[in-house]
Amino acid sequence: MENLIRTARNEMWYLLFMLPGICLFVMAVIIPLIMGARYSFTNWDGVSNSFGNVGFDNYVAAFHDPDFWGALWHTFKYALILTVLVNVLSLLLALVLDSFLPLRNLFRTIFFLPSVISIVLAGFVWSYNYSTGIPNLLSHFGIDASSPLGNPDTALFGLILIALWQGVGSPMIIYIAGLQGIPGELSESARIDGAGSWKTFLHVTLPLLAPSVTINLLLVLTGSLKVFDLVFVTTGGGPGFATDVMSTYIYRTSFSSFKGGYGMALSMMFFLILVIVTIVQMSISRRREVEM
Amino acid sequence: MKSNKAAVLAVFSLLALVFLFPLYVALLMSLKTAKQTFDSFYALPSSLNFANFAHAWETSKFPLAIMNSLIITVLSVALIVLVSALAGYAIARRNKPFYNILFMLFLSGMMIPFQVTMLPLYKLGKTLHMLDTHWGIILIYGGFGIQTGVLFYTAFIRQISREIEEAAKIDGCTTPGIFIRIIIPLLKPVTATVIVLNALYIWNDFLLPLLYLQDNHYRTIPLQQYFFFGQYSSDLNLAFAYAVMGMIPVIVFFLIMQRFIVKGIAAGAVKG
Repeated sequence: MENLIRTARNEMWYLLFMLPGICLFVMAVIIPLIMGARYSFTNWDGVSNSFGNVGFDNYVAAFHDPDFWGALWHTFKYALILTVLVNVLSLLLALVLDSFLPLRNLFRTIFFLPSVISIVLAGFVWSYNYSTGIPNLLSHFGIDASSPLGNPDTALFGLILIALWQGVGSPMIIYIAGLQGIPGELSESARIDGAGSWKTFLHVTLPLLAPSVTINLLLVLTGSLKVFDLVFVTTGGGPGFATDVMSTYIYRTSFSSFKGGYGMALSMMFFLILVIVTIVQMSISRRREVEM
Repeated sequence: MKSNKAAVLAVFSLLALVFLFPLYVALLMSLKTAKQTFDSFYALPSSLNFANFAHAWETSKFPLAIMNSLIITVLSVALIVLVSALAGYAIARRNKPFYNILFMLFLSGMMIPFQVTMLPLYKLGKTLHMLDTHWGIILIYGGFGIQTGVLFYTAFIRQISREIEEAAKIDGCTTPGIFIRIIIPLLKPVTATVIVLNALYIWNDFLLPLLYLQDNHYRTIPLQQYFFFGQYSSDLNLAFAYAVMGMIPVIVFFLIMQRFIVKGIAAGAVKG
């Protein structure tokens, strides 16, 4: 009997330990998610206290909404290009910083520095550099330039460049950590067997780096699919709707156009797309890791 | 090989300059007057003048914004550390379905993009009178932060041997006693990781303050900057002085904590 009480008391402590975490999680994630799912079937304007059920109308409307498809297309274009660029650049930086380069720590600090600045600041600084700083520099070489953010055809690439500048820091660190986990003898012996640098990299380093590649692709891809701040503070989705991404479109729909129910339906669809992308990406990467 | 090395060093130095260029322009702007900028864009100002900084400090409620950012960041991070360490300990030590299911739930929560819960969170905040308060946004950051926090702590505590705890238990130590006396002192490295990652995220966050802190008495640095730029977009030198002032705290934090930041990111990659 006494044993039983002691066990119960012990279990109670562990349950008590869990309680604050559960409460916070329920408040910040579970309740909003359930509320959101509920609102997505209503015509709620996002402000008033009353609303009516509309069934799947919001979802049907989204399928016929060209702005939704436009925003989705921009989101994926942005995310895919950025994921490739960030990973190529950060891997290159990591490879060189892990080798013979002098002043490695200084370079690492410099390439990481932009990541710690808030996106509001980065957006502001870059908008100015795009519109005045860089054209001013280029005019010394006789080149006439204007801000890429002002032109619908190049605005998205202008944003990608800012995100690249801000985004290489962490993946670079992850690649350096991955490279340091690879025993040096392996590339050494490949070299003795007559493999050149490129072949050694392709057949020895890269396969062993596969876990870092997986995690970096996943982090950058899911992170960039959710991009909000950069677009919101730099272009606001413009010019026209050239840089409107899912999250800015959802924000505008919910808060500026007062279509809360519709905004929530868009959010739910976006969430579903993200889950699918994550699962697909993870299963592809895992399979590649095993093969190699 | 030697010339190769020099070439790589040259390329990297050039790349480093490209990386620093936007920041250089920002600093330059903050130190010059509009006339000096117009006369020669890239030249350093003939004399150091901090008038822009003084002016920006006065007009912008900068000290207030710094205090808001500090209060929100420090308390949110403390909450995340405390709550995730407790939950992580329970999950790591009770290998029962109930705890494992909760663990999986926390993990899957990381997949939910913020935008999806944005509007309901705003509505919830309004209903519970959490808008324009410090505690409201701190609780929400707590709910976001524990998802990765629990992951870090659970993985770390699972690697700690149970034997000392068993011995303490035999000597009559209760579960909270064990947690406070034995576990907490061992958690320093993982706590450093959780602190730096969350501190950087919360300090720089824009969207949640945009939703929750609309009253300018509660605005954090990034939010205040956003409105300041809008308001003073004609006086760029002033706006840039404000931008540079906002950068300084986080850059100093980064340079001091650099070692932990690097470790934290590397640890996050391996365990996440």
